Amino acid sequence: MTWFIEELALFAPAIVFNIYFAVASIPLGFVAAVFLALGKDSANPLISRLSRGFIYAFRGSPLFIQFFMIYSLTLSFNISLWKPLGLSWFVLHPLFIGPLVLTLNTAAYTAEIFYGALRAVPRGEVEAARAYGMSRRQQFRQVVWPNLIRLAWPAYTNEVVFLFHATAIVYFALPVIGLQKDVMITAKELFERDYNAFLHFSVAALYFLAVSLVIFFLFGLVYKRLMRHMPAAPRMRFMPKWIR
Amino acid sequence: MSDNLAFWLSYLTNGKHLTWYASFQFTIFAALAGGMLAVIFGLAGATLKNSRFFALRLIGSTYSSIVRGVPDVLFFLFFPLAFEQAVEWFMASQVCTPETLAAQSATWPPCKEANWFLGTPEYLILASVSLGLVYGAFATNVIHGAMRSVPQGQLEAARAYGMSATQVLWRVHIRQMWVYALPGLSNVWMLIVKATSLLSLLQIADIVLWADRLGAPNYLSAVGLVHDDWRWRYYLVLFVFYILVTFASEKAFGALMNRAGRGILSEARS
Amino acid sequence: MKKLILAAAALIVLGTTAQAQETVRIATEGAYAPWNFLDDSGKPAGYEIDLANAICAQAALTCEIITNDWDSIIPNLLAGNYDVIMAGMSITDERRQTINFTQEYFPADPSRYVALAGTEIDFDNLSGVRIGAQSGTIQATYAQDNLAADNTVIVFNTADQAVADLAASNLDVIFADGAYVDPIVAASNGTIEYIGPEIMIGDGMAAGLRKDEAALEATLNDAITALKADGTMDKLIAQWFDGRGPYYAQ
Repeated sequence: MTWFIEELALFAPAIVFNIYFAVASIPLGFVAAVFLALGKDSANPLISRLSRGFIYAFRGSPLFIQFFMIYSLTLSFNISLWKPLGLSWFVLHPLFIGPLVLTLNTAAYTAEIFYGALRAVPRGEVEAARAYGMSRRQQFRQVVWPNLIRLAWPAYTNEVVFLFHATAIVYFALPVIGLQKDVMITAKELFERDYNAFLHFSVAALYFLAVSLVIFFLFGLVYKRLMRHMPAAPRMRFMPKWIR
Repeated sequence: MSDNLAFWLSYLTNGKHLTWYASFQFTIFAALAGGMLAVIFGLAGATLKNSRFFALRLIGSTYSSIVRGVPDVLFFLFFPLAFEQAVEWFMASQVCTPETLAAQSATWPPCKEANWFLGTPEYLILASVSLGLVYGAFATNVIHGAMRSVPQGQLEAARAYGMSATQVLWRVHIRQMWVYALPGLSNVWMLIVKATSLLSLLQIADIVLWADRLGAPNYLSAVGLVHDDWRWRYYLVLFVFYILVTFASEKAFGALMNRAGRGILSEARS
Repeated sequence: MKKLILAAAALIVLGTTAQAQETVRIATEGAYAPWNFLDDSGKPAGYEIDLANAICAQAALTCEIITNDWDSIIPNLLAGNYDVIMAGMSITDERRQTINFTQEYFPADPSRYVALAGTEIDFDNLSGVRIGAQSGTIQATYAQDNLAADNTVIVFNTADQAVADLAASNLDVIFADGAYVDPIVAASNGTIEYIGPEIMIGDGMAAGLRKDEAALEATLNDAITALKADGTMDKLIAQWFDGRGPYYAQ
């Protein structure tokens, strides 16, 4: 049993990096997604086209390639831009560029979810709000947004779990600084030492599974609160969906 | 200008680039084979989940929830390694003798005769199988849901015609199920296409590995054209390639759904 | 059905092992010029590829060269995906614990720091420096063991990626094999230059094998001895490494 606890302990510092990547990118991605979804729905053709293009590009290409591309692209601006600004150490740090790419990625996926929810907001409620003489801002704050977030929350939970899983490939694409290693790199290095694929990868999987369950639990609590006006609050189950 | 054009043309058609273009076959193979296997595993998983026996139902739902609960890349790395070790373990139980076991100094495999050499073709097949297994878990859910969406009346009608349970399953239930499953399967297909970018992690010289090698800065004329870091240009090509594949897939699935949805109430098409 | 699958698996395994006894598979990285790289035709080329061919001709072996990422090159050797590593790998005591080495085919050579021209670094109290290296190399291990406390050690999957980050000024120095950076410094038109001390790590480069391959090891050692004696190795070194050698002339 002690060997198992030792094995778990080996991964404990590593999971912090995966959690960091997820926590650093989810809030920003959320905010960006709201604007992108509104942009895609916008009547202004330019804004709509740009938002659509961004969402399509980042949903239509692999995150792995986005990492490589954005890292080498950022690197190519180092001498002309980041260095003179004194930002070089920061901009090219995996702990910055990792969340940056993840944010762009999750913003696109989340925006698509929010856009779908936005279209599903009952027309009648919006019209009623207009009839009350609400400004567009008020309409959004009081009517559209509460509807949207309730409709989107289960799918968004799913997206957050996917994003957390996506943090597993960060260090396959970015350089590793010192001892900053995530769960996947740790598992791979341990495997390369003693060949016990079943042990190391299972423990890594266990960590991912555990955090996924925690995410479901926390987002389930939020969902309950969002739906507290309903007679029987629907419960969320641990069920990563195929939709992404 | 024409000199320039000729130079770039010959640069972009040198052997290294041709190998890069040729390596697209690995990606395409893995996507198609992985997609097909995903549907097969999905059907198997959904059948298990629909089973009358609790044990089989448990296997079906454990498979689909465990695999979906861990990152695809983890399973993608783990499965080929585990499969190789399992085959070698099986071989060891067949071919190893006490002498060869004693002669083996490395920790794995148990004896030299049980060793399994893995080259690109084997890895490619293993990669496709692991893509199939991972996304088969997603397809399980899609197909499970779709099978429950088939109107009960149709199944009853089939039974009333005197079809056996197997006939109902294969001739009516599964055939009618596709219409409901297609939108979900299209999503799963997109996930598989994007996951093919991970092939280089299994030592397959795929498009991503070549993009890195071609774009890496080069200072030695013996190696090829001397240039700075050009990687982002090559990755941009891959970025666009995948977007185009997504676009084409969407169109193809759209056409497929239209075809499959003929004669069916519009509620099935979404 | 299950039996059928197992039988098929057994067939695959038997088929490939039978094949494997005839050909010796040699793994290289393909991203470490001039030792090994992928040339304009997309095939492995370089000193080690020429040398491998010479060794195989000398020992009358049929050889096949395959590429494998540097990171997993020892694990995949142990897993039996190939029989020999020739990938600019230096002999170290740590590696000797897991694999065997033939005699060296490239002499011990000091590792060097290189930096962009005009960089000033006090190597007597090295601190706050961003040091790049390829992960899993002797230089990366050295830097992580000796320099990581006061400096930032950044490891990359390939040496070329480290060079790209140096050229883009994201690293202060890279720490690598002298003979790897020689041609880069020479070809950079003065933008990249040597800096700091030369540091001797490793016992020269050699081919790596699994510990139970005594027969193959002896064959390779004999072939290498012969190639050293008849001057082939020095000729190849002179051809691929400007101004190096002769090392093994009698």
